[in-house]
Amino acid sequence: MMYEHFDNTVKGIKDKLSQDPSGINARKKYVLELSRLGRKLYTKNETIAWCGVTAPFDLLSSMGVTSCFVEFVGAMLASTQTAGFFFEDAEDAGFATDSCAYHRAVMGAVLKNAMPEPDFIIGTSSPCTAGLAVMENFANQYKKDFFILNVPQNYSKDAIRFLSNQIEELTHFVSAHTKEPLSKEKLGMALENFNQSSKLLRDIYDLAKTKPSPVDNRLLRDFGVVMTLLMGTREGIDICQAFKDELNQRIKTSRHHASKEKTRLMWIQNRIQYPFPMDKMLDDLGAKIVIDELNTVTWEPMDPDNPFESIAKRMISIPFSMDTSKRIKNMQTLALDYQIDGAINPCHWGCRQGTGARGLVSKGMRDIDIPVLNLEIDCVDSRNLARGQIETRVEAFMEMLS
Amino acid sequence: MIFLGIDIGSLSCDAVLIDENKNILSSSVIPTGVKNIESIAKVKKNVLDAAGVMEKDILSIVSTGYGRNRVKERDRAVTEITCHAKGIKHMIPDTRILIDIGGQDSKAMLLDPDGNVVDFAMNDKCAAGTGRFLEAMARALEVDINQLGDLDKGATSDLVLSSMCTVFAESEVVSLIASGTEQKEIAKGLNRAIAARTNSLVKRIAKNTRDLAVSMSGGVARNRGVVKAIAESMNLERVNTPKLPDIVGALGAAIIGLEKRR
Repeated sequence: MMYEHFDNTVKGIKDKLSQDPSGINARKKYVLELSRLGRKLYTKNETIAWCGVTAPFDLLSSMGVTSCFVEFVGAMLASTQTAGFFFEDAEDAGFATDSCAYHRAVMGAVLKNAMPEPDFIIGTSSPCTAGLAVMENFANQYKKDFFILNVPQNYSKDAIRFLSNQIEELTHFVSAHTKEPLSKEKLGMALENFNQSSKLLRDIYDLAKTKPSPVDNRLLRDFGVVMTLLMGTREGIDICQAFKDELNQRIKTSRHHASKEKTRLMWIQNRIQYPFPMDKMLDDLGAKIVIDELNTVTWEPMDPDNPFESIAKRMISIPFSMDTSKRIKNMQTLALDYQIDGAINPCHWGCRQGTGARGLVSKGMRDIDIPVLNLEIDCVDSRNLARGQIETRVEAFMEMLS
Repeated sequence: MIFLGIDIGSLSCDAVLIDENKNILSSSVIPTGVKNIESIAKVKKNVLDAAGVMEKDILSIVSTGYGRNRVKERDRAVTEITCHAKGIKHMIPDTRILIDIGGQDSKAMLLDPDGNVVDFAMNDKCAAGTGRFLEAMARALEVDINQLGDLDKGATSDLVLSSMCTVFAESEVVSLIASGTEQKEIAKGLNRAIAARTNSLVKRIAKNTRDLAVSMSGGVARNRGVVKAIAESMNLERVNTPKLPDIVGALGAAIIGLEKRR
């Protein structure tokens, strides 16, 4: 089912591309590459690793491993409205209905044999240990080897060394499965690609700061998190370049003036994954999400001669790995840089970062005079959506800001 | 010049007609029922008849409440948060914190001295502690919803019921009845549960409420027991309630219509 979904998407976009190469925008190119990755994940004879969100996908890709974080699949199941079947399976097996639905959807898919069998599994303690437990369940189900990367929440020499050693150990673990040693040359190339993509990402985010912003409510949704799957590749650079070009073009042609920007917003954490017209609702209210919390480059360029330490520094620096006080500082910086009027925190049900930090995030933003709308929303399980209640909260928030 | 505000809530459908000086010409509160289009027509007719004016005399119609987009003839739709703030500012001008407990949600709003909303919080996930909650509890206690407000008179115990879930609370009420607990004690426990939940909403928007006048709107503001329990829970001498708490949202809507015309 998922293979067909990805394959059809690839074919559809390629058809359009062959008819009119100039008619394909950046977002389409991005979807094309993600769909190619998705198709590969569901293809036999690939070496597959299911991972936690913060795993080093560039490193894995340089070692010939097709890898992805499982939450990506949870999001895909939600967006294609097929998650419902899998929730029921997971719940029948005893997973609590108020646990994270990204993981519940994936667990259901595992139980229903709808996930491709991995060669091994790599869990990450960041962003959440609930995800780690799901990965362990996953490994038990398929009887596959399981490697855990414990990502520290503090950025210190000891923490970097601690993670760096684990990453090096991970390469041995991977080699033991692929029977191929790590190629320093290939890894160096992946890091160079990642550096180039990162530079372009910074440019993209800088362009998004423009007033009025050239982005719209859809363009960069969940971009930062998902792009890590591709940034170590040549295609990743091409996608980033396409987004940069598109934003420059929008500014040049003043296309961005077409969408209203009465209110500039920050979206905290991930967007809603199932079809729900939040983007349109915001469009209609003249509100624009100019920055997503996770659309930020927090790492320095990586040194191909010192790859493990560089990757460790990057992994520890990202908002997913930060403790709440650092996360809030990062949000405050983004809020000021992007000159936002307010922030929306979806507080995804069952999420440590989303609901756990809610009060602190609100206070931190209030300290810099930025109001926060806390939505109690399940971003993946649409069965928990009270649409009228969400609409009222969002509209009232915009009325308040205006 | 006449301005109409209509508030289509989950339980009641309210309308207010005002003149250009914000004087209330007429008001009406009817159950929303399952056919809200019919309720809208009926409540509109009620206020027009009561004020002795014609529909063509209405200069602006502003709708609010969950059914706000169902009013086809509206000039604009505004959320109940903004409308209640506007309405209470007119009725009790010094209000800085407004609590509105409606049929299916409860809200706490922090207002600036001019009556603008600067922050708000609403109930999470479920409708416990709202008008629907009280309806279910009245049913469990076998009393009319209008009797519930005075039912706690003379209660002395410190009983507090679950405020987290309407179904759990109802089952708790049934157990207490079965164990012989007096109705008044159960009623007080329910009021305390609602007050605790409401107080938590208020704390999210204002840590210190000592110098801020607190008012309450919405149908539940007619329940004296709940209002008193909220005041006690917040260590306040009193929580202000307008004479007609049900129409605060509709009044605010009408005033917004008037101000937009200006």
